[in-house]
Amino acid sequence: MNESLINPFSITHPTAVQTSLYALALFARFDPSGRFVAGGRADGSAVVWDLETRSPIRTLDGHVKTVTSIDWSRNSRYLLTASKDWNAIVWDLASDCDPIQRHTTIRFDAPVVSASFHPRNSKIVLVLLSTGEPYIADLRKEHRSRVELCEVQEESDEEGAAVPSRPRSAMTVARFDPLGSHVFVGTSAGTILVFNTRTKTMVARHKITGAGAIKGLEFAKSGRRLVTNSSDRTIRQFNLPQYAPPNQEREYLEQELEPTQRFNDPISKTAWHAVSYSPDGEWLAGGAADPAAHKIYIWDMSNDGQFASALDGGREPLTHLHWHPKKSCIASTTNQGNILIWHCPHPERWGAFAGGFEEVDENIVYEEKEDEFDIEDEEVIAERKRKGEEIEVDVEGGVDEEMEVSAGANGAAGKLDEDAAWADEEPDDDVGRWKIKIVMTDEYT
Amino acid sequence: MYNLRYILSGHTRSVSSLKFSPDGTLLASAAADKLIKLWDAYTGHIVRTFSGHSAGISDIAWSSDSDYIASASDDKTIVIWSLELGTAVKTLVGHTNFVFCVNFNPNSNLLVSGGFDETVRVWDVARGKVLKVLPAHSDPVTAVSFNHDGTLIVSCAMDGLIRIWDAESGQCLKTLVDDDNPICSHARFSPNSRFVLVTTQDSTVRLWNYHSSRCVKTYSGHTNRTYCISACFSNTSGKYVVSGSEDGKVYIWDLQTRQLAQTLEGHRDVVLAIDTHPLRSIIASASMDKDLTIRLWYEGD
Repeated sequence: MNESLINPFSITHPTAVQTSLYALALFARFDPSGRFVAGGRADGSAVVWDLETRSPIRTLDGHVKTVTSIDWSRNSRYLLTASKDWNAIVWDLASDCDPIQRHTTIRFDAPVVSASFHPRNSKIVLVLLSTGEPYIADLRKEHRSRVELCEVQEESDEEGAAVPSRPRSAMTVARFDPLGSHVFVGTSAGTILVFNTRTKTMVARHKITGAGAIKGLEFAKSGRRLVTNSSDRTIRQFNLPQYAPPNQEREYLEQELEPTQRFNDPISKTAWHAVSYSPDGEWLAGGAADPAAHKIYIWDMSNDGQFASALDGGREPLTHLHWHPKKSCIASTTNQGNILIWHCPHPERWGAFAGGFEEVDENIVYEEKEDEFDIEDEEVIAERKRKGEEIEVDVEGGVDEEMEVSAGANGAAGKLDEDAAWADEEPDDDVGRWKIKIVMTDEYT
Repeated sequence: MYNLRYILSGHTRSVSSLKFSPDGTLLASAAADKLIKLWDAYTGHIVRTFSGHSAGISDIAWSSDSDYIASASDDKTIVIWSLELGTAVKTLVGHTNFVFCVNFNPNSNLLVSGGFDETVRVWDVARGKVLKVLPAHSDPVTAVSFNHDGTLIVSCAMDGLIRIWDAESGQCLKTLVDDDNPICSHARFSPNSRFVLVTTQDSTVRLWNYHSSRCVKTYSGHTNRTYCISACFSNTSGKYVVSGSEDGKVYIWDLQTRQLAQTLEGHRDVVLAIDTHPLRSIIASASMDKDLTIRLWYEGD
């Protein structure tokens, strides 16, 4: 709403720290609306901060060991935390107490490395265990199941049975794509496996030459581009192919992916802790695993991945970063547990304080209009003013359209194929327009 | 056509503010007698009275979930009242002079207030702490409110200026000023936030397009020279602009043609406070010392 009044000729990636939140967090993630940021802690708790008031508003107290990941449902109502205590917990922010009560607990038989909601239905959960096994846990009544996603092993025909089949490579990262129809899994062997979410069958295997173990996967909002972070300290961007729907023969695509861009630190060759796309996909931010500095590198993706800027966040090393879902804003977490909120400051325009005053950057020779100082009949002026006010005004329209656009961007867009229809069965209660209750707090709690 | 349905009496001094709850069930009124009263919007029965301020109240506002009311008082504080608990839950201290106007943002986690100390303040509702103090005007601030998505704040003051602020950074984005610089009584955004509706003490209500800094509609005929009288949009059946007046009437203009559609007569003193119901065609109006009643006008009976 305010963008049109703010100078549009400014850089659109964050440049400066706006606030530091003393959160004791290991990592922090924005919700899809961008109103909140949630941080996971080593003591097993998680905290939701309101970015407008810059205060913690809810505590999620349920795990007994380190929280390893946090995910938000598409309308921000549910939170999913994963922990080393073998549990993943679903929380409902619409419940009106603080600390909030757990909604669902999903138990596993090993520490949970990450857990995420299906983008269309928060009753479908993707979980990765520290043993390297990814599971899809379906909490819907009709579909209740827990299925492991298994890599298809090649049949070693030429060597016969002499060589035992290649040891299974451990899965190191598992993510839904933005539509939720596929699960992307990175392995310690430098491959990316693609599974169909509905059938749980492998539809593709991509070898990434030279990458080493895959540490992170991030999608641009469109779902057509993917970046990987891997143990060779290089960030790679790929354009993804179209995947055929799974068939009876359980065929899969075996394809080596060639990166469109590679990013690394040419001098100190630091590794990366996290990468994140800007909401429009035009920028990519990488958080450097520098042990003595807090450095965020920004690349201009609309300009062929050119290096744009390195942001310095002070002396506390960076552990995680996440780009805001709507704005030019980044949350980066320090190893001391502080969450730095980066923004793009607009210079104060003092001309805005004077009505009808316009700031100019350089001197302009003023050219007087022919009739500018002519004395006009007051009646003529009044008549013209009256005429001008005849034009109809719209004081209500335009708001709902904005809302619909944002609903569409949240994954409801796109053709409703079989996979989406499957995911939409037994929908969750995470509908738009729910409101978080304001809970009064005392300052010293 | 609106007709009088209920006359509510209870306040012992001038009623300064009337607000329907966002869910439409209640009408809140505040007055110089330091009290806030809640009335059933459909029956006119008194529901509850809140007392606690040590001076008169100038303005009240509902949170969007209808759970809280904030009141701005001449005792320099703002109090947040919980309907669930029936008590005051927060007292916001910080203004150095009378607090004159108050409003919640759409998420109701922020509150904006203005007062005779010429500042606009933004508050954290849950903690009751001030987040921003904007040296906004050079005379008492008469109205402040957020736009529909909470990104902008409009303020107006007795210095005759209307200012638009960026809610997040607190930066001034625009200043609107009329040629004759009349004292501004009240300002609010249109439902889609593309315009601001401003009442000024030259007996005029204006609709401004703040992007182009142009006045696009002028409504007149009523009297407003002394008091801060507010104006409202009415959109439940047809589009109208409604304002109180110092001649004791309520004026209803057609939004587009600017023609007077109806005047509601009955009050025996200045009509200071008015509000329009969010769902049904109901207007509430209240009057000053000589009258002290609140009247509910329903359309079509």
